[in-house]
Amino acid sequence: MSTNGVDKKRRRFLVNLTAGVGAVGSGFAVAPFVMSMTPSERAKAAGAPVEVDISKLEPGQLLTVKWRGKPVWLLNRTPVMMDSLKGLADILEDPESTDAEQPTYAKGIARAIKPELLVVVGLCTHLGCSPDKKLEAGAGAGLGADWPGGFFCPCHGSKFDLSGRVYKNVPAPRNLPVPPYSFKSDTEIVLGIDQKEGVA
Amino acid sequence: MPVLSVAGGGNGHKLDPVSIDLEDKVSLQRGATIFVNYCLSCHSAAYMRYNRLAKDLKFSDDPKESEKFVAKNMLFAADKIGDLMKAAMPIEDAKDWFGVAPPDLTLLARYRGPDWIYTYLRSFYLDEKSPSGWNNTVFENVAMPHVLYEWQGTQKAYFTKNEEGVKVFDRFEMIKSGTKSPQDFDKDMRDLTNFFVYLGEPSQLKRQRVGWYVLLFLALFLVVTYFLKKEYWKDVH
Amino acid sequence: MQSLLEWVDARFPLLKVWNEHLAEYYAPKNFNFWYYFGSLAILMLVLQIFSGIFLTIHYKPDVGLAFASVEYIMRDVPWGWFIRYLHSTGASAFFIVIYLHMFRALLYGSHRGPRELVWIMGMVIFVALMAESFMGYLLPWGNMSYWGAQVIINLFDAIPVIGPGLSEWIRGDFVISDATLNRFFAFHVAAVPLVLVILVFMHIVALHRVGSNNPDGIEIKENKGADGIPLDGIPFHPYYTVKDIVAVVVFLIVLSSVLFFAPELGGWFLEHDNFTPANVLQTPPEIVPLWYFTPYYSILRACTPDYMIYLSIFVGIVGAMTLFSARNIMVKAVAVVTPLILIVGFYTLEAKFWGVVAMGVSIMVFFALPWLDRSTVKSIRYRGWMYKTALGIFVVTFLVLGYLGTQPPEGLYKALAQIGTLIYFAFFAFMPWYSQIDKTKPVPERVT
Repeated sequence: MSTNGVDKKRRRFLVNLTAGVGAVGSGFAVAPFVMSMTPSERAKAAGAPVEVDISKLEPGQLLTVKWRGKPVWLLNRTPVMMDSLKGLADILEDPESTDAEQPTYAKGIARAIKPELLVVVGLCTHLGCSPDKKLEAGAGAGLGADWPGGFFCPCHGSKFDLSGRVYKNVPAPRNLPVPPYSFKSDTEIVLGIDQKEGVA
Repeated sequence: MPVLSVAGGGNGHKLDPVSIDLEDKVSLQRGATIFVNYCLSCHSAAYMRYNRLAKDLKFSDDPKESEKFVAKNMLFAADKIGDLMKAAMPIEDAKDWFGVAPPDLTLLARYRGPDWIYTYLRSFYLDEKSPSGWNNTVFENVAMPHVLYEWQGTQKAYFTKNEEGVKVFDRFEMIKSGTKSPQDFDKDMRDLTNFFVYLGEPSQLKRQRVGWYVLLFLALFLVVTYFLKKEYWKDVH
Repeated sequence: MQSLLEWVDARFPLLKVWNEHLAEYYAPKNFNFWYYFGSLAILMLVLQIFSGIFLTIHYKPDVGLAFASVEYIMRDVPWGWFIRYLHSTGASAFFIVIYLHMFRALLYGSHRGPRELVWIMGMVIFVALMAESFMGYLLPWGNMSYWGAQVIINLFDAIPVIGPGLSEWIRGDFVISDATLNRFFAFHVAAVPLVLVILVFMHIVALHRVGSNNPDGIEIKENKGADGIPLDGIPFHPYYTVKDIVAVVVFLIVLSSVLFFAPELGGWFLEHDNFTPANVLQTPPEIVPLWYFTPYYSILRACTPDYMIYLSIFVGIVGAMTLFSARNIMVKAVAVVTPLILIVGFYTLEAKFWGVVAMGVSIMVFFALPWLDRSTVKSIRYRGWMYKTALGIFVVTFLVLGYLGTQPPEGLYKALAQIGTLIYFAFFAFMPWYSQIDKTKPVPERVT
């Protein structure tokens, strides 16, 4: 065995080349394993768009529907409720709901395609608890006499109004997310399909 | 699959070879249509999803149109395109009617092989002794009646005895022709068999495609590592 | 980077381990084709553990869900088919590699002193691997999974007195059931792999203590240079690492060819009867274990009542030969008593029991190889015609028994399996004599 007259440059080049090609190969080999952990066809099928009949949803009523395993609230707001949304700008974090990560129809005060019909994912944006529904205004909700009606998360005390807009100085950072949805007819909405842009 | 397992091809019916071509989308689509219309009412393919069918069989070049086609023309026993292909008939009813539950057919081709399926589908014959009135030369005393007899027609089987005195299948004789010519019927059954092979392993075309890339990469890597080895082994005398 | 290494090295013997096992582990420079399979076995262990973990993520060990969950992996899980085929093809590939690795030892006497313990640890790995694959085969809950496990576990029934209780204890039920599936799952994914990894580690540590054998079967440590380095040794790293990488790539090409183009390999790697769910009322027409168990399965089935006369003659001859060649009086006594007890047993206990014993012995006898082989040389290169012929016949017999294990044990096949069983045992039983009297060639001082 002798290491005299070794072309070190050539050796280094070949080592680097092998390492490089080997790394690329390993990357390709690992990719299927990483991808196998993404939602399967079964999960996708279970998370498929859900059609909801809203013809029997009376004003003031709230309907909870499961979509992709999450509770989605459909609230048919009364004129009184709609009024309660106004004039809260000072105590809300994002009153105009300008946060980018939501459908365009979730902006503004009502945050809905049809103003009276609120559709939100009923999971607190803090750590994912499902807030209590405190729809009635006033002291009855136990949140003080000036409570305008909304949602209260029992886990860490975050508060939301009847548009799912988050209060200032509570743990939750953002308004309740509005899922992609669209109207199939006047009385039927589809959760999971955007009003214009197709399947979300 | 209790019933299928008993089937032996006991009376020496040689299996007819069938050519399988999973690239032949038209054949697969035709097979799928026959399957959904004639098999799926009693049998399930409960590991398969309709949307997979739409994606792989390309009923239209546009994936969405393909899904719409499947949703419109094949969704008899389900309401969503992502559903598994369950049978239209409840298993308990099937047991009452046939004495056994019709087996799930998703993996039939992997279990029986394509030649068996192709031969079985074409080998029903009249048999008064059987409760359904039908028997099959590759699956003796099968519980299933001949669903496609209107297409194929009605045939009788003739048997002879071999040297050891065992009953051996000899030939079929058509006693009433069907609505399809024998050639057309065989072609339909070939398409259906082709579909069964696809159904048994929907990812097989992708598997082979990926395989070529893997081999190509490994061949390249082999060259690199071979030169590396050669370079270092210059030291060893 | 350098300082980080130093920081670690002050707290963990990184450099020492690297040097001892790679950079300054001196391996003989004349390794040939047969010396790739150790590295490839490690590769297979890693691949099986890795793919196994990802299968465990999606698999459900429940008799109502198991079969469907495998099809779920094959269809609904992204790239699930790849992971499943890697695991199923890998199981067979692992056994091919291990068998070739063991054959290498028989060729060059790698099991002989001072490497007896390396061999024994290797054999324990082999037995653990058999348990691992046997239990893994139940998990898909196909009809062959079910009936294969049923047949093999019922073997324990044949053991007198404790047998029936033992097989119930293994199953956790009176039949193969959910309880069996669950415990096999636990052993297959946790207990046995852990044992395998530890054993492989010990196998390598023991090997590096005594040093590697080579195709000449001579000890390179006996010829050291002034620097204390064996003259015929080269550092494992980089020389054998770069060489083994080439072998790994070639091996992966073969593995991929099967995995992507013929994962069932005509029913040899994935059996057709396992594509239908377990059915407790319907046995497959022919129960066949996967190919790597079939030689032993043949031996198991060869032992029928009419075979006992041949077994009796066989142990009689071995006993007589031991009696005449042994010098120790104790050995002589054993040589008389053992065959007598066995022959009485052959005719008093069920043949089924002796089939189980024969199968067990056919595997366990490998443990004794270092002591059965009495040749003065290790490598087949310097042995005479006797060992060469014996090994050749043994390999052919092993393959023939393997094939016969997949066929119904009737007529000619049964007779062949019975003859093969005797040849199989003769290879081991007569080794002390033929290996000793076999003419040897002079062994060179240095590797060639």
